[in-house]
Amino acid sequence: MGRDDRGLATLETVLMVTMLVPMLFSIIEFGSLFQRWLAQESATIQVARFAAEVGGDTPEVRALFADTLRSTGFTSADAVLDIAPSRVGWRQPLTVTVRSTASIQIPFLFGADVPLRTTAVVRGELDR
Amino acid sequence: MTAITTIGLLPVLLVILASSLELGALRIVEARVHSAADLAVLVAVNDQDDAELARTGRLQLTSDAAAMARAVFADNLESIASALAVDPSVIAANASVRVDPAPPTVRISAVVPVRTPVFGALFFHPVTDIAIKTAGGAR
Repeated sequence: MGRDDRGLATLETVLMVTMLVPMLFSIIEFGSLFQRWLAQESATIQVARFAAEVGGDTPEVRALFADTLRSTGFTSADAVLDIAPSRVGWRQPLTVTVRSTASIQIPFLFGADVPLRTTAVVRGELDR
Repeated sequence: MTAITTIGLLPVLLVILASSLELGALRIVEARVHSAADLAVLVAVNDQDDAELARTGRLQLTSDAAAMARAVFADNLESIASALAVDPSVIAANASVRVDPAPPTVRISAVVPVRTPVFGALFFHPVTDIAIKTAGGAR
């Protein structure tokens, strides 16, 4: 291999590494982000259904939220639960919002905190 | 030669990357639309006529169960309104909501147009329709 050929091989390797490594990490990081979003979405819906049954924001609802998140590998400290209004009656709309931040790091490109927000709207099922 | 191949393949790789990201975003919206329809069906099915239940012991949906399903569907689509090509209230109004009395069942089928700007730029397909179907019954 001549001097020029060695240089070309190095250039090809550098190009490949700087393109493939970010691509690989993008797949891993966005897959992880998607999994986290799905877990949060699922927890939000479960909490909304339970909050509708018990009539709003209660300690039992918060406990279910913590349990549901924990079972998916996150803690309730990672996320903020907002239930509005705090008390609802029969057929009144109840909005449950969960906010959290997920960090993604992609080599050679960027690192960022991505805000995740999931919302579920149900109707109160208490005090018919 | 290698440099030319690399330069030639770069746009192809970028197109594949952009399409993959758009497809991922589309899958997220699809999951959210399914969740919205599922919640709408659940709420509508829980909307039982209590007077009828007390009188006859029979489960019967209220007369406005379909309207309730549409309202909850629209409410839950609001959080992804920016990704939709049509207003959530229009999507809910155009959705097919079928209420069967015995056994009490609510079915929703809808076509949801989603903005796909990358597909628009690459394949002249700026809006992609997502078809969803969901059903739920009272027990």
